[in-house]
Amino acid sequence: MGTKEFKLPDVGEGVAEGELVSWLVEAGDAVTEDQPVAEVETDKALVEVPSPYNGTVKELFAEEGEIVPVGNVIISFEVEGEGDEVDTTAAESEVEEEVQDLESDDEAAEAPKAPEGRVFAPPSARRLARELGVDITDVSGTGPGGRISDADVRAHAKGGDEPSEPAAGEPTAPETEAATGGAETAPATSQPAASRQQTLAVPATRRVAQELGVDLDAVPTDETRDGEAFVTAEQVRAFAENGQPAQAPAAASNGAATEAGARVETVPYRGVRRTIGNQMAKSKYTAPHVTHHDAVVIDELVDTRRDLKEIAEEKGTKLTYMAFVMKAIVAGLKEYPILNSELDEEAEEIRVKNYYNIGIAVATDAGLMVPVVKDVDKKGLLELADEVNDLASRARDRKITREEMQGGTFTITNFGAIGGEYATPIINVPETAILGLGGIEQRPVVQDGEVVAAHTLPLSLTIDHRVIDGAEAAAFTNTVMEYLENPTKLLL
Amino acid sequence: MVVGDIATGTDVLVIGAGPGGYVAAIRAAQNGLDVTLVEKDAYGGTCLNYGCIPSKAYITATDVAHEAGNAEEMGIHADPAVDLAGMRDWKDGVVDQLTGGVEKLCKANGVNLVEGKASFADENKVRVAHGGEGQGSESIEFEHAIIATGSRPLQIPGFEFADDDVWSSRDALAAETLPESLVVVGAGYIGMELSTVFAKLGVEVTVVEMLDDVLPGYEDDVARVVKKRAEELGIAFNFGEAAQGWEESGAGGITVTTEDTEGEESTYSADKVLVAVGRSPVTDTLELDAAGVETDDKGFIPTDDQARTNVENIFAIGDVAGEPMLAHKASKEGIVAAEVAAGEPAALDYQAIPAAVFTDPEIATVGMTREEADEAGFSTVVGKFPFNASGRALTTGHADGFVRIVAEEDAGFILGAQIVGPEASELIAELTLAVEMGATLEDVASTIHTHPTLAEAVMEAAENAMGQAIHTLNR
Repeated sequence: MGTKEFKLPDVGEGVAEGELVSWLVEAGDAVTEDQPVAEVETDKALVEVPSPYNGTVKELFAEEGEIVPVGNVIISFEVEGEGDEVDTTAAESEVEEEVQDLESDDEAAEAPKAPEGRVFAPPSARRLARELGVDITDVSGTGPGGRISDADVRAHAKGGDEPSEPAAGEPTAPETEAATGGAETAPATSQPAASRQQTLAVPATRRVAQELGVDLDAVPTDETRDGEAFVTAEQVRAFAENGQPAQAPAAASNGAATEAGARVETVPYRGVRRTIGNQMAKSKYTAPHVTHHDAVVIDELVDTRRDLKEIAEEKGTKLTYMAFVMKAIVAGLKEYPILNSELDEEAEEIRVKNYYNIGIAVATDAGLMVPVVKDVDKKGLLELADEVNDLASRARDRKITREEMQGGTFTITNFGAIGGEYATPIINVPETAILGLGGIEQRPVVQDGEVVAAHTLPLSLTIDHRVIDGAEAAAFTNTVMEYLENPTKLLL
Repeated sequence: MVVGDIATGTDVLVIGAGPGGYVAAIRAAQNGLDVTLVEKDAYGGTCLNYGCIPSKAYITATDVAHEAGNAEEMGIHADPAVDLAGMRDWKDGVVDQLTGGVEKLCKANGVNLVEGKASFADENKVRVAHGGEGQGSESIEFEHAIIATGSRPLQIPGFEFADDDVWSSRDALAAETLPESLVVVGAGYIGMELSTVFAKLGVEVTVVEMLDDVLPGYEDDVARVVKKRAEELGIAFNFGEAAQGWEESGAGGITVTTEDTEGEESTYSADKVLVAVGRSPVTDTLELDAAGVETDDKGFIPTDDQARTNVENIFAIGDVAGEPMLAHKASKEGIVAAEVAAGEPAALDYQAIPAAVFTDPEIATVGMTREEADEAGFSTVVGKFPFNASGRALTTGHADGFVRIVAEEDAGFILGAQIVGPEASELIAELTLAVEMGATLEDVASTIHTHPTLAEAVMEAAENAMGQAIHTLNR
């Protein structure tokens, strides 16, 4: 028997870390190769990590909920001894080699962290970590070779799973603001709060301050000791009674009223949120966006769908407008293939796709996700409706795989499902176009010189003007509208 | 002070005013605590009175005399006469200035100074016995206590420090006349430093060591440089021999008997014998049981990373808290204990404690040796620079030794360093900072070092580790 360590593999392109959501095994469990041992959430998706070995789980090295950098050992296995290797089939030994390669590649990069939890951080950063209640061995450094800076510690403290409490005597900026801000609107009886860097007090006073939730540095005093402000327990109590409550109305009027008086709630910018942010910034700052707006009268489509809906229901399918829109888009893309393209600036190439994979933007609790329906042109309406519903619900449940969110050639965003008519969607790079759907409602339209009520669907098509010109955008939109106006054309 | 037992109270009680205790007292006072510092003997403790400071004074003074008399190569011909009484007065002056400074600093920071011997009554009270008979005693109640009682020279069977002919390191530094010959038992750092002092003063020095080399704990190539120089100074070494006892011989001399592992005896005649085989913690006079403070089998008080003993409100710092017995370690622990007592989130989270031996040449080390780094699981790289390639070292007439840096191979994080050579004790500071800061070889190599200085050797060693040294061949 030998022990094999297994490091969190690169579970997807460019993924640097993942949250170990749950263990599917525990120490002592027998596992077979490819059996899932853990669920890891990366910035894109929830993935299952399979066991690379047949053997027994020896030890788990990460806690559920822990953010684990790719390349860190997460689990070790007891595996049958070396002698067996002679008998392994070629395929198996390949797997073995791959795993070993991965290990040796990562070993060098990881070496500084490995032995005895040695942390490369200056004393000032280590002290800050203690003050913020951060275990510095959990902080990932951004300095040379992974050295940890003050900023890294602060970032970890803010983004960590547990909100860190500021240490006594170390006011955080918002708190100080709250204290002083409160004092300004306080009744005349209360003294203005102070905001010192350092305050002397005997331990008993510090305890009183802690019990009353008073920041010693905010307690006004005239006393000094050795040139430093000195605060007594009486002053702390007086401040707690008069000065401190003044905070409450101020905070309440701010609408952010918690007892702690936090006026800003800190939310970690990481995972899916950060991925969305990076993607959006990249798209908006590289591709010149132009959005073309139009509205299509779809009375006929409304009727058609109503008729087909019942038939679909009998077959267990919830037929949505989305399926029709996808079909219409494919028709448009076939006529104007440039909208089904990708720009590779480095290669100085525009790649026009002859396949039609349409991404559907889905709002989830964790943020925006875009599952992709593959080969839309080859699928029927019911099939598309089923697939969209399935992908969307799994995206909301975070059960979608990375692969299911890759390979799109064009994207639809259906903000109208929530409300609104027009928007300026941001292109899902490296695609070059995205179509936004407004809400389907009866709106006044002019038909034969008369204003009448008709079901309309507002469209917002954003294009990458580097690749697509406005005329093509308008022509494409016209084609899509034509198909939506006359859904029977979709049959052709 | 009145006769009898009166009780007073204090936030923090510090026992012992050495480099651990007085630093702890001052920091606690700076943090607004009411502090009482109890000292039974002399402010500044062993370090200032009987250890670091007086020995360094003697080392420097004897260097001056020895160098002046051995500088024919530089065209200087002199035969300095050493007046031991004068040398001792100068040394005592330095000590007085420093200990007086400690007392003033404590007072200026509002520390209450109490002279006497403290022992615990319970976990919140000590009794302090003042000076001689009839001087009375007082009880002091405390919220926090910091034990900083230090250590004393270790006595071995057969050699009582009470005898005039048997010296501890403290006796050696207070000697009124020079012996003609001296047997030194122990070739550790204290034995080696003092052997060098007396050899340079013309005393015939014989070192007896139970182990088989000088300076146990230091790497062979480091210790070798010092041993070679010591032999040049005329010091005779006898390894693998344990000192058994001594007796008076005729004409005021003594004979020291040793025994090797085979049981074979040897005898050495001398005027005095200096026993420097280590130090033991001073915990036996404190009545620690009364407070419930535990000690280990060697008498040391185990502590956690905040210098706390097993009793929540009682801290132990410095030599009593265990190896390494170094003043700067004591001071750091004192600061941490004081800050923790004041409710601050301090902790002993240093990466490395530098250590220096003031032999000729000096040795200074910090962090890991290559072997230790390898054992810890690092893939390591080392860089070395010999002082005989240093322009400045050659101009000082001291070019023995080298700087060696141990680093982690991948990112180049500096893990440790060993320096043997001129001013090693000063040069180690840069590398200590590097270890603490998580600095890399590149950081040190890319920092401009003044020319011509010994410190350039540090930069060159870093460059050597990177394969980019200018003044040595890169391996």
